[in-house]
Amino acid sequence: MANQWYPLASVEETAVGRVHRTRLFGEPIAYAKDTAGTLTAWRCTGSQQPGSDPSTALPVIARYGYIWATIGTPDGDIFPIPEYGEADRRNVAAGTIGVQVSAQRAVENFLDMGHFPFVHTGILGQEPHTEVKEYNVAVSQDGREILATECLFYQPMASTVSTSGADVEYTYRVPHPTCSVLYKSSPLDEKRLDVIAIFCQPTGHETLRGHMMLSILDDVNTDDFIRNFQLHIFGQDKPILENQFPKRLPLEPRAETPIRADKTSIVYRRWLSQHGVTYGVIPASEQVNTP
Amino acid sequence: MSSGIWFPVANTSDLPHRHVFQGRLEGRELAIWRADDGHVNIWENRCLHRGVRLSIGTNTGAELVCQYHGWRYANRSAGCTYIPAHPADAPARTVRNRTFPVLERYGLVWTHFSENTPAEPQPVGQYDDLTLRPIPIGAPGKLVWEFLSDHWDPGLGLAASDDLSYSNGTATLKLFLQPADSNRTIVRGLFNHQEADYDRGQVLLHLNTVLSELRTRIENEAARRPAPEPLIPAYVPVSAELAAMPERSVQTGMIRVHVARKTSAGEGVCSLELTPVSGTLPSFQPGAHIDISLPNGLTRQYSLINSPLETDRYIIGVKRENPSQGGSEVIHDTVREGDLLAISEPRNNFPLRRDAESTLFIAGGIGITPLLSMSAALNNQNLDFAFHYFTQNRAQRAFPERLDLLGSRLTSHLNLSPQQTSAEIAGILASPSADRQVYICGPGPMLDAARSIAEKQGWDEKAIHFEYFKNTREIDDSSSFEIALARSAMTLQVPAGQTILSVLRENGVDMPASCQQGACGTCLATVLEGEPDHQDVYLSRSEKDRGDRILTCISRAKSKRLVLDV
Amino acid sequence: MIRLFDFDLSGNCYKVRLLLAFLGLEYEKTNIDYYPGRQHRTDAFLRINPLGQLPVIEDGDYRLRDAQAILVYLAHKYDHGGNWYPTDNPDLIGEISQWLAFADQLTTTASAARLESAMFFELDGDAARAGAHKLFRILDAHLWFREDAGADWICSADEPTIADIACFPYVALSEEGGVSREDYPAIRRWLDRVKRIPGFCVMPGVFPAGPAV
Repeated sequence: MANQWYPLASVEETAVGRVHRTRLFGEPIAYAKDTAGTLTAWRCTGSQQPGSDPSTALPVIARYGYIWATIGTPDGDIFPIPEYGEADRRNVAAGTIGVQVSAQRAVENFLDMGHFPFVHTGILGQEPHTEVKEYNVAVSQDGREILATECLFYQPMASTVSTSGADVEYTYRVPHPTCSVLYKSSPLDEKRLDVIAIFCQPTGHETLRGHMMLSILDDVNTDDFIRNFQLHIFGQDKPILENQFPKRLPLEPRAETPIRADKTSIVYRRWLSQHGVTYGVIPASEQVNTP
Repeated sequence: MSSGIWFPVANTSDLPHRHVFQGRLEGRELAIWRADDGHVNIWENRCLHRGVRLSIGTNTGAELVCQYHGWRYANRSAGCTYIPAHPADAPARTVRNRTFPVLERYGLVWTHFSENTPAEPQPVGQYDDLTLRPIPIGAPGKLVWEFLSDHWDPGLGLAASDDLSYSNGTATLKLFLQPADSNRTIVRGLFNHQEADYDRGQVLLHLNTVLSELRTRIENEAARRPAPEPLIPAYVPVSAELAAMPERSVQTGMIRVHVARKTSAGEGVCSLELTPVSGTLPSFQPGAHIDISLPNGLTRQYSLINSPLETDRYIIGVKRENPSQGGSEVIHDTVREGDLLAISEPRNNFPLRRDAESTLFIAGGIGITPLLSMSAALNNQNLDFAFHYFTQNRAQRAFPERLDLLGSRLTSHLNLSPQQTSAEIAGILASPSADRQVYICGPGPMLDAARSIAEKQGWDEKAIHFEYFKNTREIDDSSSFEIALARSAMTLQVPAGQTILSVLRENGVDMPASCQQGACGTCLATVLEGEPDHQDVYLSRSEKDRGDRILTCISRAKSKRLVLDV
Repeated sequence: MIRLFDFDLSGNCYKVRLLLAFLGLEYEKTNIDYYPGRQHRTDAFLRINPLGQLPVIEDGDYRLRDAQAILVYLAHKYDHGGNWYPTDNPDLIGEISQWLAFADQLTTTASAARLESAMFFELDGDAARAGAHKLFRILDAHLWFREDAGADWICSADEPTIADIACFPYVALSEEGGVSREDYPAIRRWLDRVKRIPGFCVMPGVFPAGPAV
């Protein structure tokens, strides 16, 4: 897990010429952007001024509007989101919110449709339309990515042109232990898909910074309207996530009670186990079995 | 973990109408709530599904609804009654939150985590006067106890008389320490005065003030010491079956119940109210039925008619059949109030979806029983429905007082010929809609007619749900064939005159079953190969055409061999 | 038409939205991207409110800033029953003013803790949390003795007042800033009662109460 890139902050929101401090896997780190737009990041050691010791420098790149760094040695670039490069799309770094729960809990919530009518009432779902219909989920052949397809869920006011509800189709990708990308039919062009991604920065085992990114077909709304909408949704999820126990994602199958609607999360938990993930989770072998 | 002691975990006044109280004992969080019937529930504060605190959910008066996915948990049993993500499924009744013992005494609510605990909290004397405002203190219980024991003066002339007890001759004060966590202790207290006319507000305020001042001193001292690590509660793992998402649960246990009431519920119909001999009854879903073992050795199935929110009893309605095959007659003539009966846990093969814009119920005669329970569930969630009830005459309408509760949503259709009944049903089903679900239960001919009307009018088969209470078709059991069991790796022969189910059971293969006449759906199995010879009334036409499922109690094979996923 | 300069996740703006909802008043919103855009620091917004704070309302040509001031204004002008801000009883006016000031202290503690932990404002989160707990202890004791006297609301009136509205948001959102309400059962019951006032609306971070009947 350490050999992955992790998001730190929106490139645009990062003030020039200042040292910004944050955490990654519990370690204090710092990052900065200079007037030429060059990005740098360091591990903070002792009381030293960040950056004064070149041996503390961390690899850093900019992707999808965010600054990404790593404390390990990534074996390549960040996972692709090809749509991001399409000329007619609006790409919006939609904000960063701190949540007191493990990053994997937040990813699992992002993959979950069943909570839409209860948590995002009137926006992404509405009672009594609560059914999670059968869908497909698979791990790619190289084991790098989880893909859930043909996920249908009822959305009130499903498009900008109609006021009635309808099923909306979602596709979910999990190409990274703490990031997920979803595709959803565009209200403007039904042949193309809007992209909404969550990039989680595990600041600690039980804390995260959630960075949101949208790449959508929308020539009407302003960036801050789009950001505001996305913050509204994430703001509704936040209190749910912060009331989950344990705060780390339990990988032992008997720790919680999955239902068919949770197929993606079952595969995600198994996939984390298979990749030997131990940060932000309770590994299956450590589950306490007696009261 | 302390054993053998009841601890107060809330004041009675912490549990007002429709509130969920968040409590804690020895590091374990508790969701404590009072149902509208007065029952107090103490549950682990954690939804079994995804670990969300139940204390952020809502108390609907008879259920606690989780805020995350709307799972509904019943008063008393803590069993899950509904999972909205799968409206067509009946949740396995074993999805049940962890519950803890409850006692309400002296204006306090008590619980314990240990099996070796006496039935009552230690008696504290005469305390029915005042329950103090609880004072949570950020310090270990031992430190709080030390401060209280070290000549603490509660004022009002009270002097320490016993451990955490104080007296001045006419008034007494008793304190309790609730070990919420390693570094959190809640002081609760009771006060009693022999004279009735003292200023109780003044006493409450005074004791709150002196305890708050003591708290400041204790917390200052605690801050000088290293804080102990918080206690980490272990969560009991869910059963392996639940973790593996079973298609359906196998239940074999019998429950002993008392016949608490036997009353007339309409012409020729009697109602039995069944209450548990001990413990709580498993929660059930609307549409569920139970098997009853009757004194004459017969087993019969009856739908539960009451609301799943009435968790303290099961109610059934039994029509006297003429001629009786031995079930209804025994219940009408032999079973009396106070009798002991053995029943199965409720099974639900007629589940109610609650994700429709509106729902139509069509009942004929005693077929009203499962639909009464269903309509009560929808009513409780303020979901829209209409109810049509066909009987010979007004007196034959069963459970009239429950019918009255349906108000203007009930339409009674009286004294109609079969042709007139069909015409009415055709009118009721006139406009097929994707947003509407229909539930029909009644005599076979009425159901057959309704099925063909619905088909003709273009209803989606999935939107129309039937429950036959018996299979009146003629059964042909003359065929003989072979069954191969894919999971058990066995091949067995089913001769003429025997059923798949009986052959399975003779060979030690466990298969749940209930009505044994192809009506209830309990003994459903998946067919992997071969062509079934369906003789049941449970599967719909297209389900029969697909040929991938079979009711093992009655249906047979057209092919020489069936491969079953058993 | 009343115009509210609003930020969706702001508890101070939520106070105004709540009163407008309770009074059933229509209004227009102008969204100010307080986070992450920090639009409250732009020249354009500083011309509207030189303090750079939300909310601000415009009612015709009249412009007013400060959540508590706006509650006083709106209740006095539009609540014809006079329950939200009764002005015929000097004791009650004093009490309401006292708790409006308390609400301001909640902003500098409970709200500051939330800004620090959820939106990464450079504030002293631990000091803010400690301050919030001090206030919560006072509020919980106050509400407990009010309940014991058979009363539901913060001030000694039979109906809720703008003091309840002013104190509600940052208490209800406190756990986002790491301020648990586990020790404050009387506060939690009062939150339920506020949520059951007809017309109540939610915001992200605040769940609705269940049905009262």
